[in-house]
Amino acid sequence: MRFIIQRDRLIQSVQDVMKAVTSRTTIPILTGIKITATEEGVTFTGSDSDISIESFIPAEEGGDEIVEIKETGSIVLQARFFSEIVKKLPLGTVEMQVTNSFQTIIRSGKAEFNLNGLDADEYPHLPQIEEEKTLKLPADLLKTLIRQTVFAVSTSETRPILTGVNWKIENGQIICIATDSHRLAMRSAPIEGEEQSSYSVVIPGKSLNELSKILDDTTDLIDIVITENQVLFKAKHLLFFSRLLEGNYPDTSRLIPTESKTDVVVHTKDFLQAIDRASLLAREGRNNVVKLSTMDGGFLEISSNTPEIGKVIEEVQTETIDGEELKISFSAKYMMDALKTLEGTEIRVKFTGAMRPFVIHSLNDETITQLILPVRTY
Amino acid sequence: MIGKWNELEQIQPDVYRMLKNSRIKNRVAHAYLFEGGKGTGKREAALLFAKSLFCEQITEGIVPCDHCVNCKRIQSGNHPDVHVLEPDGLSIKKEQIQTLQEEFSKKAVESSKKLYAIFHADKMTNQAANSLLKFLEEPNRETTAILVTEQVQRILPTILSRCQVISFKPLSPIYFKETLLQNGVSPSNATVISHLTQNLEEALQMNSQEWFAQAQKIMVKLYETLRSNPLKALLYLQEEWFAHFKEKEQIDRGLDLLFLIYKDLLHVQLDKRNQLVFNHLEKVLEHDALLISSQRLAEKMSVILDAKKRLLSNTNTQLLMEQLVLNLQEGSSFV
Repeated sequence: MRFIIQRDRLIQSVQDVMKAVTSRTTIPILTGIKITATEEGVTFTGSDSDISIESFIPAEEGGDEIVEIKETGSIVLQARFFSEIVKKLPLGTVEMQVTNSFQTIIRSGKAEFNLNGLDADEYPHLPQIEEEKTLKLPADLLKTLIRQTVFAVSTSETRPILTGVNWKIENGQIICIATDSHRLAMRSAPIEGEEQSSYSVVIPGKSLNELSKILDDTTDLIDIVITENQVLFKAKHLLFFSRLLEGNYPDTSRLIPTESKTDVVVHTKDFLQAIDRASLLAREGRNNVVKLSTMDGGFLEISSNTPEIGKVIEEVQTETIDGEELKISFSAKYMMDALKTLEGTEIRVKFTGAMRPFVIHSLNDETITQLILPVRTY
Repeated sequence: MIGKWNELEQIQPDVYRMLKNSRIKNRVAHAYLFEGGKGTGKREAALLFAKSLFCEQITEGIVPCDHCVNCKRIQSGNHPDVHVLEPDGLSIKKEQIQTLQEEFSKKAVESSKKLYAIFHADKMTNQAANSLLKFLEEPNRETTAILVTEQVQRILPTILSRCQVISFKPLSPIYFKETLLQNGVSPSNATVISHLTQNLEEALQMNSQEWFAQAQKIMVKLYETLRSNPLKALLYLQEEWFAHFKEKEQIDRGLDLLFLIYKDLLHVQLDKRNQLVFNHLEKVLEHDALLISSQRLAEKMSVILDAKKRLLSNTNTQLLMEQLVLNLQEGSSFV
């Protein structure tokens, strides 16, 4: 393998794939970055076996030559050293050459590094992509989908399947569901691509967080390919693979109540701030619990009482309160998490009794549903 | 010493047949426990079996090619779907099992198969073993576990009952001695070493070690001191013995040697002189054999075994050795 590459593009690509490389791995080869040179360009791959990031630098872009390929081939280099080296090279161009027995020479200006490489055949193989079976979503929508659901995944490993977000794709629609069995976040959106295909996969929450960090806030379409073991997100010159979780996601459709006994419409920001204030005292106590009761005249009373610290009561003006009177307790943290993801200035909260889960929607937008289980208090 | 299936067939025919049949009939169990003495080829068999499951160019339904990408990666520990766990320090800790569980909650990276091997499974802490238990109980599809241990009696019975136990038979020292002789080991060394290990690499390493040759001499001298002047034995320990035997493994080796001397004594008593390990000691042993009852001899041997066992736990090695020497003296035992 031998090629000459522009340094700034090299740095960018190495930085991108470094996000997937961790030092603590049981598989020695994963401490390296795989570099593959073909006639079309150079591909960099980093992986921690859960997520893999592939960055492609084309030989030519917009008439400019970025990489001059002299000889094709591939090599794996120690990520820690390689990334430091490329950052500190003196000139704008870098020559890389693999001699026999995986010795790699990195040359820039008068500096020359000799790195011991590893056999690229040892590197995990990423799934081959079938181009025709892709789904498409704009990057910003994808990021929103992730932001609105991933916070609700479970952090405990007792039920591993709940540490992921369930993506269901059917009838040209994508539904993302995350739950930790105390709360649930669900978001649906239309999706472009193959109409007939239907999938149900569970993607680890950690992977989605990483993905959302890597994607830019643009309206560029991201291709999504779902394979047997992995899911692939494909942006321009950047491929993000994530492994899927094993097992069946619990059926959540029956959890979401369809009718309601008490409907409250309230200004999101006022409500969020009131909950935030009430949680100041609640935070110290167990469970972070605040109490909400409906009052006459369209007011909501939000209160929290921790006997050893003190108590707080606040009234919030609502737009409307319909239905039965209600006193309910819930976790302030869950409520704030849910409210932060909702778009729109007003929200509708639907209660079905003090012991039943309640649902929060944006007033005019039913695509996002946040469900929270109340806390039993006496 | 086992790198190929046919070698496994020679050395462990029963194991070979069991693994082969389960593979050919496609009835691979979800968990195996490979159990047997040191150097009986358990680790090699585990790797072979892993290769046989993942190999791309398998022949006769079971024999891995050893040169395809998957075989190579299993050998070098780089296969993303084959996970190997070994003790981190003295024991296998709960965190290691948890990482393994996290790993196995996800789908495989490349194929649909996954395999994990736990070497020295007896060194799992209790918490680790109990976490593993739940994991063993509810295997995912196409997941295979191989637990490898030298001390099957130290495995939790609840784990044992969830694995298919495959016993590796101890190799006969005579057979191994032949192998050693073929490898150019001197006859006297070959006899001693064949009683200490059954791993060829380790044996050859021992043979070339200056330390080991010296250790034999010192151990024989300790024995001679013990029989001629028991009171001096304690001094001897301080003067020479501890300078040579520093690490726990070294002391363990030394105790093995001492045990072999006493075993020779027993052989002399039972008139099985052709089985002697320390041939040059024959005259001395002959004399001693007349002075000791076989019951007392058995007691002494059990004292050595006891010391070996205590060495595994956290003991002060100096006190351990002193106690051993006192117990090996003639007369009533001290402690």
